[in-house]
Amino acid sequence: MAGIRIEHVTKTYGSLSVLKDFSLDIADGEFVVFVGPSGCGKSTMLKILAGLEEASSGTVHIGGRDVTDMAPGDRDIAMVFQNYALYPHLTVRKNMGFGLKMRGTPADVIDQRVANAAKILGIDHLLDRRPKALSGGQRQRVALGRAIVREPQAFLMDEPLSNLDAKLRVHTRAEISALHHRLGVTTIYVTHDQIEAMTMADRIVIMKDGLIQQIADPDTMFRRPANLFVAGFIGSPGMNFLRSPVFDRAGVPTVRLFGREVALQASASLVGRDIVVGLRPEHIAAGAGPVTFEVQPRLVESLGSEKYVYLDVPEENRTQVARIENSDDEERPTDTIIARLINPDERAIGKHITLSFDPAHLHLFDAKTEIAIQ
Amino acid sequence: MKTRSLNRIILYASVVAVCAFLVFPIYWLFITAISPPDQLRALPPKFWPDVPRWDVFAAIIRERPLLLWLSNSALAALGSVIISMAVSVLAGYSLSRFRVRGGQSLGLFILTAKMLPATLLVIPLFGIFRSVDLIGSLWSIILAHATLIIPFTTWMLKGYFDTIPRELEQAAMVDGCSPFGAMVRVILPVSAPGLAATALYGFVLSWSDYAYARTFLTNAQTNWTANLGITTMKGEYISNWADISAASILVALPVVVIYLFLERYLVGGLTAGAEK
Amino acid sequence: MKLGFNLDLARPSRRHWLGYLLLAPAVILIALIIVYPLLVSIDLSFQNVNIARLDQPRKPFTTANYERLFSSPDFWNATWVTLKLVVIVSFFCFLLGLGTALLVNNKFKGQALARLLVALPWAVPEVVAVVIFAWMFDSSFGLINWIFIKLGLIDTTVSWFSSPTAAFIVVCITMIWKGYPFVSIMMLAGLQSIPEDFYNAARVDGANAWQRLVNITIPSLMPVLGVTLVLVMLWVFRDFSIIYILTGGGPLKATQTLSIMTYEQAFSFFKMGYASAIGVVTLVVCVIASRLMIGRAPDTI
Repeated sequence: MAGIRIEHVTKTYGSLSVLKDFSLDIADGEFVVFVGPSGCGKSTMLKILAGLEEASSGTVHIGGRDVTDMAPGDRDIAMVFQNYALYPHLTVRKNMGFGLKMRGTPADVIDQRVANAAKILGIDHLLDRRPKALSGGQRQRVALGRAIVREPQAFLMDEPLSNLDAKLRVHTRAEISALHHRLGVTTIYVTHDQIEAMTMADRIVIMKDGLIQQIADPDTMFRRPANLFVAGFIGSPGMNFLRSPVFDRAGVPTVRLFGREVALQASASLVGRDIVVGLRPEHIAAGAGPVTFEVQPRLVESLGSEKYVYLDVPEENRTQVARIENSDDEERPTDTIIARLINPDERAIGKHITLSFDPAHLHLFDAKTEIAIQ
Repeated sequence: MKTRSLNRIILYASVVAVCAFLVFPIYWLFITAISPPDQLRALPPKFWPDVPRWDVFAAIIRERPLLLWLSNSALAALGSVIISMAVSVLAGYSLSRFRVRGGQSLGLFILTAKMLPATLLVIPLFGIFRSVDLIGSLWSIILAHATLIIPFTTWMLKGYFDTIPRELEQAAMVDGCSPFGAMVRVILPVSAPGLAATALYGFVLSWSDYAYARTFLTNAQTNWTANLGITTMKGEYISNWADISAASILVALPVVVIYLFLERYLVGGLTAGAEK
Repeated sequence: MKLGFNLDLARPSRRHWLGYLLLAPAVILIALIIVYPLLVSIDLSFQNVNIARLDQPRKPFTTANYERLFSSPDFWNATWVTLKLVVIVSFFCFLLGLGTALLVNNKFKGQALARLLVALPWAVPEVVAVVIFAWMFDSSFGLINWIFIKLGLIDTTVSWFSSPTAAFIVVCITMIWKGYPFVSIMMLAGLQSIPEDFYNAARVDGANAWQRLVNITIPSLMPVLGVTLVLVMLWVFRDFSIIYILTGGGPLKATQTLSIMTYEQAFSFFKMGYASAIGVVTLVVCVIASRLMIGRAPDTI
């Protein structure tokens, strides 16, 4: 087990820069998740850590050793791939023991460690099968088993759950977390799914276009997103954005949202600037509250215990931010916001409904730089 | 419902008719082989001989150096396939996995080399082999056949390696293999069916050649290949069609058997590289 | 445990060296047995050489071979014969190949066997194909003469290999029989990549079998058709064995293609410089044709 230190790593392909100045310190035993939309550079960084790709510049240290230009096999790391990459011509037992065999471990030690790992993962009865004869979930476990048998200094996982169906994914997610608690091995986990990041990580590294956007623990990430991108990416459904200029009302900076004047709890220096106000869907409530407004919902989706209410944004509040909705890389139109109402009264579409929110829950971002205003 | 079954009947009838028509020449070859020579001159021709001469194959092997010819063909095919596979497995893997400078132009050149006319290449090869004293030796056609086989096998193997996920060798490298070790220990075993199909395809190419054997081996009777041998039988003053047909069947048999095995891979082999 | 050599190449910064190392044997061998001979043949075509010997000093540079070539009626005759052969054989290979593919692509019992049989001539070596047709078209005891007389198409036996037209026809038939399975195999692969839904949708829209063929099948096959056509034409263009064994280019040069002429000049008349010039001309045609094909093929098959 060991800490990992990544310093100023970049990666370019010709003129294409996929990773721009990536630096990160990972503590021994920490579970770090790299998350971001596809093409953000998270997998490239993982491959550089594994030694499968060469860094264009920068250094990588694992456990105090400079491994920047070291062969993958000499780094003492194990990796779990999205498609599992099990060796089709070898049995499960041989698959799991392959790395140890390559390192010249005596056969009886290999057998014992494979048996141990298989027991932990509940795959002892599959040891003599070939990968082809396994279900997706079983293959996933074998891939995990192949990693833990090695007892490496760090686990690298590249979207290990994305080939599983939804139910199994939730289950395995919990299992990987449990495994991490049990073994305490430093783990770097790459995913495009913010829910995986939120539920598993000690710390999240959120990336976009080869740049780190924010490094924080899940709670901080959720409560104090550093910029519009992070705010929109973390949380499901993502945060709503409303644009407004800030003006002065009796010495208090104020914005107009849904035709209501809303006093901000912020410094007076904001006056005169354009800002984007963020409001999480779950912070919009049914009925009257600190700021109340009436709207005609465009669409109501019922999920049983809760309802998603889609609202048209007034022209003056529309943002120009093209945003990537978490997980599915889908864009949400900027003229719609979502209210997430827990157990509301039955309401039909087309009627006016009363909604409210508390200004204390608002997130403020500079409209130009998209950076959070604290 | 009635038109349905009528359609079926028409379909079956046409399939049978077409197959019969197209396969008939092969049937006729077989009938010719097992007919007594005097019956071949009978009019009207017999579509099944009165007394099939089943021992014709044993007889022809006894009377003609057919086994020698077949073993020469086999040796030439084995030699050229081994040489070709050795270089094209490595090259195909490199073209599939590495972005090597000039790799793309090399790939394009190899693709064009598939289209080279043998009648062009045979002239300089003749000159070259004469200078190094290879004319008449099996090595001449082994090398010449390699010029036919390498372009095919390289592209076929590249295509096959492309279907194998890169994560396999990445996993092997994380597990401690060198890049070359990952190829030898993981990728090649996984590719076994593709390697076998490719090698068989090369075998067929070599086995079917006539032009190079005719040019380099005509004066070296002990090194004649099967195809060359058959054409010399045809050239005799009075052609013994029964014997020629029997010999032809023995020569065609190996490739037909390979074809039966290879059918699934055929399209990949025929188009290898075309989709570049 | 590991060789130092491997250890080095495993480093991320050196891994691409392996790409070059793996290519090296192929590059060297191809340079020796393909590129070098090609250069030699181009060089030969500019010399007045009878029998190529590399251990003798090079003859002076001359363009006489090409001058002689383009003013020779034999060359233009061979070009014309080649063109006729390419067009006729390719056309019938396509007709037969596409037809059998469409037929065998229907679902019926024994479909697998029919597919194998239809493509069987592909596996028969060209020499054997020649044996088959040389005997069937034999002038005295051949089956074809007997059938034609029985059918009343001819009165007396035809001497197929002495008449220019007849010999050309026999060459065509042999090549078509040997060549159509390739088209058939390619078309079958193409047909199988057309989604069944297209046909179902067309049926719902009321398209009959002919409309489905013209509006769905043929357009979907277009990319495969193009590549196959080039490959078949090149095969006919380059083929040597079938014509050489069947007719030797005769009678009266009626079946003498450019390939046959090249070979004859080189190895019957020992005019290797002149032969190389013809070969270089065919090479140019082949290279242009293969370049046309590249980038046209679909990646579905």
